[in-house]
Amino acid sequence: MTDDLILDVQGVTKSYDGLEVLKGIGFGLRKGETKVLIGPSGSGKSTLLRCINYLTRPDAGRIFLSGEEVREGNIDAMRARMGFVFQDFNLFSHLTVLDNVRICQIKVSGIDRETATQRAQQELARVGLGDKAAAYPAELSGGQQQRVSIARALAMDPDVLLFDEPTSALDPELTNEVIRVMQQLARDGMTMVVVTHEMSFARQAADELIFMENGHIVEQGPPGNLFSHAASERTRAFLNVIAEHG
Amino acid sequence: MGEPMLDFIRFGIEWLPRILEGVPVTLALWAIAISLGCVLGLILCWARVYGNRFCYWLSTVYIELFRGTPMLVQMFFIYLGLPHVGIVFDAFTAAVIAITLNSAAYQAEYFRGSVLSVPKGQLIAARACGMSQWQAIRYIMLPQALRRVIPQWSNEAIIELKFTSIAYTIGVVEITAIAQDIGSRTLDFFQVFLWAGLVYLILTSSVASLLGWVERRTYVPGVTTHG
Amino acid sequence: MDIYDVLIRDFPFLLKGLGVAIVLLAALLVIGFVLGMSICLLQLYGPKTRLLQWPLLLYERVFRGVPIIIMLFIFYYGISGVYDISAFAAAILAMGLRSAAYQSQIFRSAFQSVPAGQMMAARAMGMSKAKAIRHIIFPQAARHAIGPWTNEFSSEIKETSLAYVIGVVELTRQAHYIITSTQGNVLIVFAVVALLYFVLNRAGNSLLYAYERKLAVPGFEK
Repeated sequence: MTDDLILDVQGVTKSYDGLEVLKGIGFGLRKGETKVLIGPSGSGKSTLLRCINYLTRPDAGRIFLSGEEVREGNIDAMRARMGFVFQDFNLFSHLTVLDNVRICQIKVSGIDRETATQRAQQELARVGLGDKAAAYPAELSGGQQQRVSIARALAMDPDVLLFDEPTSALDPELTNEVIRVMQQLARDGMTMVVVTHEMSFARQAADELIFMENGHIVEQGPPGNLFSHAASERTRAFLNVIAEHG
Repeated sequence: MGEPMLDFIRFGIEWLPRILEGVPVTLALWAIAISLGCVLGLILCWARVYGNRFCYWLSTVYIELFRGTPMLVQMFFIYLGLPHVGIVFDAFTAAVIAITLNSAAYQAEYFRGSVLSVPKGQLIAARACGMSQWQAIRYIMLPQALRRVIPQWSNEAIIELKFTSIAYTIGVVEITAIAQDIGSRTLDFFQVFLWAGLVYLILTSSVASLLGWVERRTYVPGVTTHG
Repeated sequence: MDIYDVLIRDFPFLLKGLGVAIVLLAALLVIGFVLGMSICLLQLYGPKTRLLQWPLLLYERVFRGVPIIIMLFIFYYGISGVYDISAFAAAILAMGLRSAAYQSQIFRSAFQSVPAGQMMAARAMGMSKAKAIRHIIFPQAARHAIGPWTNEFSSEIKETSLAYVIGVVELTRQAHYIITSTQGNVLIVFAVVALLYFVLNRAGNSLLYAYERKLAVPGFEK
């Protein structure tokens, strides 16, 4: 365990009804790094992401955030330091965009209303939605909703952001606005773990790709290496299929 | 088993048969009223959805009035009030009328809700393949609307079954009246009403299961919400 | 004296009866709300043991399956056997406990119509379960519940009239007193009583509709 790791995942396993979905996964993330998890559906990527912040409780393994272990006992405090972006946004539907972005600052972090509002507006501007503060989620497009949910996560000042297939629920023409925001975040030095099928994002923004299959990490490395000469036959096959269809 | 429990069972052995004599009256009251209420409810619903302005207005006023006032007052109005203008009913008939009129107002609203929930395209498609307005309603609209309304209708039917107990206040000799009578003879109102409550519970549960069965039998994917 | 003079003379009694009905209504709704909400929260977020869940289910079944008249008698006579309870208190208790059985179901389906992702997102942001329920789930459930709750309010107004059977001197009982003390046309007395219930019902509904509109946000319209 090295001290400069923001996120350190060690030996995580998870089974559902005797079916082992994660078979001892470990990886680390330095400050400012973006790692992209790829792999066929059912390979355990999303489960892994959810295990990191205990939305799904791992059967075994340890997770450290900035050197501090994530446990059942401190989970709320740890989650506040890990932003999570869902596939289907999950914006709080009874709150305006502004309230969505500031409610957890106020209720979880105990930040005063004025500071929270400023921070919220700043993050909304960052994702290009400064003018939508008064709107309700139902009045926004899917792409806009997802950008709000990114702003909501950013406003908590997280150590790391976890993205669970952030563009999979979007129409193709709306994915780009979300991808652009994520690319900008990567350039700004945000520490991120991203599960996605968007290879353009993986190629341009990832410091490292992690290819998963059947609950294992098959191969990991910089995108350039993986895309041009992956060591494993499985990785090459998967990337070829993606390249043809995506 | 404790002494009170034995006492309760002894009381039941002695008086339950007498209470059960009220069951046919309760069920008859309920079945007649709910059926007549269904017919009247369909007419009111028709008037509100398809009727002209006058029909719409009349049916709306009727529904609002009967849904806005207590059944007990309605029953008193019919049984104790109407004789003063020369209209006299025996207690059973008065109870049937009151429950019918009350239930019709609720049923009409449930019917209306389900009729309106059938997509407009269904009727247009029916007319497009040459059906008359009446045929479209009879063969396309009604079968869908009636299926949709079953869960709410079941609720309403069970509410009315419980409401039949109000008929005791005007002297219909159904379960509650008999229990009241036994109570004044034995001076053990508590036990007799516990038994009466048990009888009602069995009746309402049986009706609920029966209607649940009907709902499952008529289930069509996409038309009803659950099967 | 004709019936109109009687009505005018005795109208204060009717209003007094209406007052009793309103107090009864308010008390039973409060009991029903507190207890119904507790039942709902225990069912949804409490331990899933049968020891807890079965009695709750049985409670709902029994109170929803037995006519309120029978419940009124059971509570009135049952309690007065061991404790000197007034008919009014017995009515509040019986009707409040029964309303809880209905309100718990209203709340339960309202909570259940809040998508699971809302809770998940709140927890993922670091909210505790209690905070997530309070700030995220509850405000949404309230918007789903208010329509059905307005219906429950309406039926309870009308059911307060049934407290008549154990001798609570509410509106219907007052009307009955007037009728037994006069020879006139009692039709009009019942019509006036019906009108009072009707107006009370309408007034309550309008308030609740106004509240519903105030809570309405895009995505939660009827």
